[in-house]
Amino acid sequence: MSDMSEDLQTNRLKELKETALPCFQCGVCSSSCPVFRVSPELNPRVSVDSIISRGKVPSEGNEWLCAYCLMCDQRCPMGVSLAEILMVIKNISAKEGQAPPDVIESAESLMADGCQSPISSRSEKQREDMGLPKLPRADPEDVKMLFRATGAAEVLELNRSTSGEASE
Amino acid sequence: MPERRIGVFLCHCGSNIAGVIDLEVLKQAVQSLPDVEIVTDYKYVCSKPGQKILKDSIKKHKLNGIVIASCSPRMHEPTFRQVLREIGLNPFLLEIANIREHVSWIHANDPKAATEKAIDLVRMAIARARLLEPLEEPEVSIKKSTLIVGGGIAGISAALDLANAGFKVYLVEKEPSIGGKMSRWDKTFPTLDCSSCILTPRMAEVGNHENITLLTMAQVEEVEGYVGNFKVKIKQIPRYVDIEKCTSCGDCSDICPVDIPAEFDANLSYRKAIYIPFAQAVPSAYVLDMENCLGVEAVKCGKCEDKCEAKAISYDDKEKIIEIEVGTIIVSTGFELFDASKKEEYGYGHFPNVVNLGEIERMLSSAGPTRGHVLKPSNLTEPKKIVYVQCVGSRDELTNRYCSRVCCMTAIKQARMIRDKTGASIYMFYIDLRTFGKGYEEFYESTAAAGVTFIRGRVGEILQNEKTMNLIVRGEDTLLGKPIQLDDVDLVVLSTGVVAADATNKIAHVLNLSISPDGFLLEAHPKLRPVDSFNDGIFVAGMAQGPKDIPDTVAQAKAAASGAMALMGKGKINVEPYYSVVDEERCAGCQVCISVCPYNAVTLNERGYAEVNPAVCKGCGTCTATCASGAITSQHYTDGQIAAMIQEYLSTRYWA
Amino acid sequence: MKFAFFPGCTMAYRLPFAEKSIRMVVPHFDVELVDLAFTCCPEPNTVRALSDDTWITLAARNIALAEAEGLNILTACAGCHESLSLAKHELDENPDRKNKVNELLKDLGLEYKGTSTIVHVHQLLFDEIGIESISSKVVRPVPIKVVTHTGCHLLRPERVLHVDNAEVPVKLDMLCESLGMVPLEYMDKTMCCGAGVRKINSVTSYAILREKMTSIAMVEPNAIVVFCPTCFITFESGQRVANRIFGTDFKIPVFYYTELLAIALNLPETDILLAEHRVKIELPTSTETKEENKTETKDSIPSSP
Repeated sequence: MSDMSEDLQTNRLKELKETALPCFQCGVCSSSCPVFRVSPELNPRVSVDSIISRGKVPSEGNEWLCAYCLMCDQRCPMGVSLAEILMVIKNISAKEGQAPPDVIESAESLMADGCQSPISSRSEKQREDMGLPKLPRADPEDVKMLFRATGAAEVLELNRSTSGEASE
Repeated sequence: MPERRIGVFLCHCGSNIAGVIDLEVLKQAVQSLPDVEIVTDYKYVCSKPGQKILKDSIKKHKLNGIVIASCSPRMHEPTFRQVLREIGLNPFLLEIANIREHVSWIHANDPKAATEKAIDLVRMAIARARLLEPLEEPEVSIKKSTLIVGGGIAGISAALDLANAGFKVYLVEKEPSIGGKMSRWDKTFPTLDCSSCILTPRMAEVGNHENITLLTMAQVEEVEGYVGNFKVKIKQIPRYVDIEKCTSCGDCSDICPVDIPAEFDANLSYRKAIYIPFAQAVPSAYVLDMENCLGVEAVKCGKCEDKCEAKAISYDDKEKIIEIEVGTIIVSTGFELFDASKKEEYGYGHFPNVVNLGEIERMLSSAGPTRGHVLKPSNLTEPKKIVYVQCVGSRDELTNRYCSRVCCMTAIKQARMIRDKTGASIYMFYIDLRTFGKGYEEFYESTAAAGVTFIRGRVGEILQNEKTMNLIVRGEDTLLGKPIQLDDVDLVVLSTGVVAADATNKIAHVLNLSISPDGFLLEAHPKLRPVDSFNDGIFVAGMAQGPKDIPDTVAQAKAAASGAMALMGKGKINVEPYYSVVDEERCAGCQVCISVCPYNAVTLNERGYAEVNPAVCKGCGTCTATCASGAITSQHYTDGQIAAMIQEYLSTRYWA
Repeated sequence: MKFAFFPGCTMAYRLPFAEKSIRMVVPHFDVELVDLAFTCCPEPNTVRALSDDTWITLAARNIALAEAEGLNILTACAGCHESLSLAKHELDENPDRKNKVNELLKDLGLEYKGTSTIVHVHQLLFDEIGIESISSKVVRPVPIKVVTHTGCHLLRPERVLHVDNAEVPVKLDMLCESLGMVPLEYMDKTMCCGAGVRKINSVTSYAILREKMTSIAMVEPNAIVVFCPTCFITFESGQRVANRIFGTDFKIPVFYYTELLAIALNLPETDILLAEHRVKIELPTSTETKEENKTETKDSIPSSP
């Protein structure tokens, strides 16, 4: 499925380029973006402009600042989904080994535990004390299998090695 | 039918056709076909010498069927028909094969295939030409009177042009006074001349003109007939005040105990139940709003009737149905402002200090609710910091896609006036400033020089500080790529776009007019017939056809008036003979044709058969296709002619 | 009504008292919850950012588990709700994608069919149970002034979620009103709490929170009411971090809505819930029931200082 994944990604970017074309750079997305308000280095309008006018995916790290709150998606007068475009840029950035360490860490935890943050014995105890049931857990092998079959394991591997290089 | 003698004329159109299609091959392919008497080619058949060749050949070879292979019939069919008329041949014995738009222009990269296609088209044209019949163009007389629907500046301008040229005009307006939106506007851009100063003299002229019958509080209910002979039914709702007797002294209004938000003032002031919309209203008479009147019997109220010395008030006034006959109709039903509450992120309707362009116009008017002062609605103080938000309800897939054209200049004009009057800080958020008219760009530049700040970027959201009622406006300065937040804004003006009026929709239904996807009326051709509708004798003018400013509206109104005059001046017109005819021998009187006809052109005659009114029929062929007994023929597009073309095409392709 | 309960990682292991409150209140509205072996929803900003296929396949697995039991899913977290809803939307609209996902799920003995719906506790309470039914059960009104934060991922994308009006959400306010609270209007009501970027850039995240908290503090509420455990943690713990970074002084208690509902229903053990709160609140101690004293309830609304 990894091949399919790659095709899908290229196809999705192509699709998104088409959906981005109606953008006339009015700036309603950036005006509504809570991140842009405090960190102007993330500017959804500029990201789309880069795709349309430079035909280039601006995966320079800023895309990871998108909180995916979808305010831009809600208000775009031309029906362009900026948050979805940024999500694809994140995909591409991850494929280039540029995913932030904390994202990798959360995904590793999910692959191992089925949960984004490691489940500690303390939190299990807290549930018990509170009279909450022990939650059934997914078979870790199932989750690993799905990670491998759908490309995330590969992306994780790649990012692990690049972050290793960076630390050397 | 006499023996058919067909002449085929191939046009080079310079190199437009000859540069792609091998005309020699084409000539060879068609010259020996049955009934073809002569095949000639010439550089420009439409030119004077080309026309002479056509005429000479017709005479010399006694031709009675003409095929011209050239550009689209849209271009030169009228030219060639006139040539035929001049030489004494019926103009409908002409068939044009379009080998330019349909062949040489679109297949320029494949001359061989283009030539083959051209051969097919010419063969098909010859096949049809064998069966063409001479047709007569019936003449209908035209009544010299015009119905104008909508009494804004468009209707007023058209009415005066027609009336001054001696034509009778019926001007129908649904409000109690004519004047339309322009009467509510304060100043006009870019000259800043007072809107009502230039409008009210024209209104008064309409009111006094001997050729104009003004029907206010009236709406067109039904229209029957066709170009030159429209029968119109108009419903007039009761005014309860006799226009002739009312002296507009205002005594009735002074004593009326009811206060209602005044529509004319964008609901920023109050009026009485008996009122005059504005001082210069035409007709200059009061109107009683019965819905809000306390009651006409003396026990309930009845004060105004007591007070009226002229005895103009009549509580017994009834709804009237007025029937008129006119030759032409002009639709000028105007527009409405976009309802800004649909853009919820801007808070219009929730935040008192968010207003629209129309409300500011009334505030700016010295006769308006605030006597010319722009005020913060929350506390009626003078705003020190004002933000304009452009394109509210325009250029927006979520509301209206089109540009409303007038909001940029209206906003700039308002900003300039407020800036000059009070020195307030004014910021205008825009996507693109569209200052396209004469003197508009200069006006924008001088407004920027006067200290109004222009920021490129669409506003994301407007928030209200619940304590101070002041507003926060968030946007991006897209030219700098920097977020921008304006705090403590006293007043936000949403530059609301324009939308088609409900009245436009209604009249389109009554008159069977087409509406474009934006909701405005569709003109017959965007460039060459901009004020004609698809229905002969009906014209459109002003905002009803699409957003436009006052100069463009007046220009269209005068154009529509001149279009109507051109029809009526002659007193009669010839109707193209593309109408359907019924063969009564075969008609079963089932009336299916009547139910499918989109133009109401078919009726059942006294003999119980379908009958088509040639003046109303557009020759669309729907009835022909629907008739179960094959009794209806579309003249000039008969089943036989079309079948012959198809047969010719198939024979060359598959059996040749 | 019976649901496959989807508390989500954050609620289950970081905010168990909020989960407790849900489990406490729903039996009173004849709702039964079933626990299944779900994984993380998974969270779009991590898993989906790495691989769209992994995201949709894991989400499909979760939904398929509920479908196998013939149950609809009840979500408690805005993020889980959006993630599962978007995945469902995509799978239902795109048969090719559904088939490819199902090829993988086949190995686990599962199939995504599209038969289960995704319902958030917000929707369960407002749309299914209804304000009237809730207020009829209230015995101990909670007379405090609150601001509500429905949460980005319950509001947007509006075209898929349909939980509330994305620009002017009112339903959570109405739910609060039904428990005797006074919801206050405030600026930035639909704005993000900042949680989405906390892992990437914490200063940006807390700067967003500072903006949001500034707007909230302006109207001086007694508490913030949320419907998402992530928003809860961001507001509650985050305001202390924001105070450290920016020198602000925010100290506003936060509630997951069903905690207040449990209190209003006067259920036992609500003290366990409140004990876990880091920003403490003294709820007005009026023990009079609604029936006994309606007017006094209104009078006991604390006036703003």
